[in-house]
Amino acid sequence: MADSDPIIRLRHVERSYTRGGEILPVLQGLDLEMEAGAFYALMGPSGSGKTTMLNLIGGLDSPDAGEVIVAGEHVDLLRGAELSHWRAEHVGFVFQGFNLLPVLTARENVELPLQLTPLSRSQRRAQAERALTLVGLADRMTHRPAQLSGGQEQRVAIARAIATDPSIILADEPTGDLDRRTAEQILDLMQRLNRELGKTILMVTHDPVAAEFADRVIHLDKGRLGRIDHNHEPRRISAEAAADVG
Amino acid sequence: MSPRLILKNLLAHPLRSILTLGSVALAVFLVCMLQAVVTALSSATSAASSQRLWVQSAVSLFVDLPLSYESKIAGVAGVETVCKFQWFGGEYRDGGSFFAQFGVDADTFGPAYPELDVVDGSYDAFAGRRDGCLVGQALADQYGWKVGQTVPIIGRIFPRVDGSAWDFVIQGIYRAKTTAVDERTLYFHFDYLREAIEQGAVRMEPGVGVYLVDLRDGAEPTAVMSAIDALFENGPQRVQTTTEAEFARQFVTMLGSVPVLLRSIGGAVLFAIFFAILNTMLMAARERTRDLGVLKALGFTDRWVFVGLTVESLLLCVLGGAIGIAVAFVLSLGVAKAIASFVPGFEIAGESVALGMGLSIALGLVAGCVPAWNASRLKPVAALRAED
Ligand SMILES: Nc1ncnc2c1ncn2[C@@H]1O[C@H](COP(=O)(O)OP(=O)(O)OP(=O)(O)O)[C@@H](O)[C@H]1O
Ligand SMILES: [Mg+2]
Repeated sequence: MADSDPIIRLRHVERSYTRGGEILPVLQGLDLEMEAGAFYALMGPSGSGKTTMLNLIGGLDSPDAGEVIVAGEHVDLLRGAELSHWRAEHVGFVFQGFNLLPVLTARENVELPLQLTPLSRSQRRAQAERALTLVGLADRMTHRPAQLSGGQEQRVAIARAIATDPSIILADEPTGDLDRRTAEQILDLMQRLNRELGKTILMVTHDPVAAEFADRVIHLDKGRLGRIDHNHEPRRISAEAAADVG
Repeated sequence: MSPRLILKNLLAHPLRSILTLGSVALAVFLVCMLQAVVTALSSATSAASSQRLWVQSAVSLFVDLPLSYESKIAGVAGVETVCKFQWFGGEYRDGGSFFAQFGVDADTFGPAYPELDVVDGSYDAFAGRRDGCLVGQALADQYGWKVGQTVPIIGRIFPRVDGSAWDFVIQGIYRAKTTAVDERTLYFHFDYLREAIEQGAVRMEPGVGVYLVDLRDGAEPTAVMSAIDALFENGPQRVQTTTEAEFARQFVTMLGSVPVLLRSIGGAVLFAIFFAILNTMLMAARERTRDLGVLKALGFTDRWVFVGLTVESLLLCVLGGAIGIAVAFVLSLGVAKAIASFVPGFEIAGESVALGMGLSIALGLVAGCVPAWNASRLKPVAALRAED
């Protein structure tokens, strides 16, 4: 499918930070194209610019130079409320630290992005319940984050990310805070979102085993693109991890 | 931010919310009470008539004027009637609560005070009976007095030689149409007092505390005032004539610059509370920086965040203000009764409620806007990097 339009396209993207009066170049002329419907892992040493790249693609940040075209939109040209609306419609974020709102229940957390849609209250509720059921938390709807395990919290966060049915999921070290077994369950869930719902996923990870769950592995080093590996046979969840989902 | 999120944020820190609520309530309560006192004091002044003059000793309110002054004052051009006023200062039921008693001239007192409305008994009955008296509705309510009842008063300034009480028989109960007259006063006949003195029942010199002058229509108060003052320029007792409005104003200023003081106290309290609330709101927003970053990442606009945080603060302050007003209102009923003799017309009026509400809204808006503005300017990436 090399001739299909890429869903994410970075052209000569540059991003640097100034720290203490010094300019710190992070991304230095990045060119990259990503296919719709694929599951990408993004690897690289700490400080190589992975989070920076993810934020640019997700419209949380703007490049100093170059173009960021996502789902046909020049994200680098959007500003303020336009950018907010675009984010709400096209991307779902999953973070390392889960980032659920502690005062809200699981269902209310998932409903949050739905409030930006024209759905009615009952439709929002139904949609949130569907997303939570999909991630295997049908029986944890009214639990608050503090009452959930790390793996469950991350699944609520994933449910929140897919609640509005965006085409792209951006995950920054989603398994970084989880043990091996729980991490595998989350990675399995990501695979299902990719295969069953057709989401394009870009997942930052430091863990080579986690990266094996993806179709492609992008390597980033000091703000420059390295090689891209193809996993012809992505890893599947181990039997013991699959046994104790919940 | 959704209404539910705002509410849950407030409920997430119950102690902090309650303390904030409480401090707004306290500030608004204080302001309402102070405002009520100021209003009561100044309404006594503004309801006062400029059509009535008060002639008092130039030395002091506590020095009597000679009886002979009455006819001389009556002769001044522009004077319609003259009424003697004598402060009696007696006590009803030993050590009982305080109320004022005045000896007046029945024939001129009533006509000079059209604000006085006799609702039970009649003014004529009062005028027709030597030991009769008129009492205010509030007094009658307090003591359960009825027309025809005798009110015994122990004279403290005018004690009877035999130690007995003065008996005044209620002939009328009046209501006041303005706050220029209060409803906690007993008026009796000056002549009743004078006769007792002349008969030797009381060992005192007869005198007049104040002459009340009712001006003829169209008479120029300042001209009459200086004419009266000039009349007694060379003694035996120099006098000072003021309009009732001026008299009331002097009374108010005699209390010191109470209104100014009260307003400054209220202002200072508000100022202090404002900073306390602002600080709380800033803290509350700062510790949720990451949450705000999440909301922005989810697609909530800067405007949403701004409005949400402002509404949160507004809600807290308006609720606190409402509680403060409610408490002030309930307490004011009791306070009004207790201080009616000194400051009549004390009440939490619509004006105070509006002031209290306005202040709580202003507090909530300003204290909410500052953190809300900061939060709305926050870059999502920076907010997400914030430590918990
Ligand atoms: N807001 C900022 N201000 C200054 N420097 C920043 C800022 N954000 C990132 N950096 C710097 O830019 C470089 C790249 O950061 P980035 O977060 O993209 O790295 P990363 O690949 O995600 O690293 P990690 O694996 O540790 O998460 C780092 O050196 C980081 O310190
Ligand atoms: Mg990172």
